[in-house]
Amino acid sequence: MVSQLLKYIILTKSFSCSLEQKSHIIEVLMSNSRFLFIVVPLLFLAVLVMPTPGACQESANCLACHSAMKGKIKNAGGAMVELNVDADKFGASKHGALSCTDCHMRFADNPHSTPSGDVPQAVLALSSKIASKFKVDPVAGAACSTCHEEVYKMVLGSVHGKNIVDKHQMDGALCLDCHGSPHYITSVKDESSPMSRKHQVETCGKCHGDKKIIEKYKLEENVMESYEESFHGRKLFLGHTKAPTCSSCHSSHDIRSKTDPASPVFGKNKLVTCGKCHKGANEKFVPAITHKRPGPIPHYGEKLLIILTIGVFAFIVIHVLLEAFADIRDAIFRKKEEEE
Amino acid sequence: MSETTTTTQEVPAEIERFDIIFRIQHVLMFTTFLLLSFTGWGLKFAHEPQGLSSVWIRVWGGAETAGLIHRIAGIGMLLDFIWHVIYLAYLFATKQMTINLKTTVIPLPKDVVDVVKNFMYFLGLSKEKARFGRFSYAQKFDYWAVFWGMFIIGFSGYALAFPMQVSYIIPQFASEWIWQLLWLMHSDEALLAIVFILFWHFYNEHLKPEVFPMSWIWITGKISTEKLKHHHPIEYEFLFPEAAKKNKKH
Repeated sequence: MVSQLLKYIILTKSFSCSLEQKSHIIEVLMSNSRFLFIVVPLLFLAVLVMPTPGACQESANCLACHSAMKGKIKNAGGAMVELNVDADKFGASKHGALSCTDCHMRFADNPHSTPSGDVPQAVLALSSKIASKFKVDPVAGAACSTCHEEVYKMVLGSVHGKNIVDKHQMDGALCLDCHGSPHYITSVKDESSPMSRKHQVETCGKCHGDKKIIEKYKLEENVMESYEESFHGRKLFLGHTKAPTCSSCHSSHDIRSKTDPASPVFGKNKLVTCGKCHKGANEKFVPAITHKRPGPIPHYGEKLLIILTIGVFAFIVIHVLLEAFADIRDAIFRKKEEEE
Repeated sequence: MSETTTTTQEVPAEIERFDIIFRIQHVLMFTTFLLLSFTGWGLKFAHEPQGLSSVWIRVWGGAETAGLIHRIAGIGMLLDFIWHVIYLAYLFATKQMTINLKTTVIPLPKDVVDVVKNFMYFLGLSKEKARFGRFSYAQKFDYWAVFWGMFIIGFSGYALAFPMQVSYIIPQFASEWIWQLLWLMHSDEALLAIVFILFWHFYNEHLKPEVFPMSWIWITGKISTEKLKHHHPIEYEFLFPEAAKKNKKH
């Protein structure tokens, strides 16, 4: 056990020498028993003080290389794989305690050998369904379901999930599109999370504000602007702690098209949805918030108000300026006339 | 207003222009107006300039507190307005106030003529300034702008602050567009009101050389007869016809 620990320390902590040199050092240390009894306890103390990447040893083995590696490579499927994993960020994330192979259950190609143990059938079946989405590692993408089974089912039944599973499109949002890199997932309460109150709207906007996607799926085209313009959007932006974000009305994992009767914003469901915050929401109240562009009455009404504002503004500014100039003129040129 | 003046010979040094109730109403009006402007500005320009509005709203205690201040000030202003209207009704009912074309604040065709006359004077086309009664067109404009604001901004603001209560009384056919219209009305006209106060009211009652730093009538309620004669000659002649006649002879 002690020698294992020693190996681990040398492998992970001293990056200045090559792997061969490291193994040579290990051999030398193993052959000298004094080191085992003096140096090893000291090193053990050092380990307690030093920050360790990840919580488990197996992650540390992977991170020994991957935290130092930079850049991307192309895998057999032609997808670009990001090699770097930030060990500190991973350790601090929700999944910092997991070992890499909990999700990376199988490696499609070298240089890694697949860890022993079979990939569960459920995960394997799921991975083939979502393969169009996960070019890098579909098994890892499906592995979320081993812990988050219920939520994953919801997502697959949602308008986002169906787009991937049934229509085999790349665009539908799956776990990572919303929650960010799997290695750095944090709680939605954490401000840095792409699903936090601070970032959720811009995260949804990556697709729902994208003209190509809006055209492709015939989505409501004004959702981002209308939200930002609305009281809800303004208040959220100003730091109101109860202002609703996208998911407050549209739900999250179980998200539906607005034409789906199960959607919280479909027809009369709005009464319940708005009623979560606005007790007693009725049919004349719920149209107050909409993503549709203003109809002709508000549109031309605003035009009229703008004309009125500009008209009044022009009058008062011209009047004030002319009066001020006349006052100055009188003070300089006409004072004498008055005295006479 | 004062029918007895026609018989008095004595010309007092100053006369009361606004009684204490009008003065209190004015103070309430401008304090609530400032609170509403400051908090509302942050919401209207929530997204621009980048992040500055969030800082500004934090000055007012954050979005929730600023919203509360805005609502309380709004209700205060509406109550102040209602009080003003009721007080006017009371003055009329008790004959303490009557409508006279020389002293009324109601806009008259003469006011349009006065505007044209003044513009001619400003441009050097005429040597005569317009002569005013109790209220000049600038003052009438100031006064009625508040009425306009109360109807457009006040009632839309009430609807936006209490949408649930108001939703019961709005007609079904209007529910699809009325909310957006109310919001546009409230926000656009509020901007107009702020611009109006900043340029018109501030220039006329604060920055003008003859009143700088401000016209003190808002505190004292009184105007000297000298100033009255100069700025409101028609009212002066109406109040003190004999003195005015004497002046003309001299």
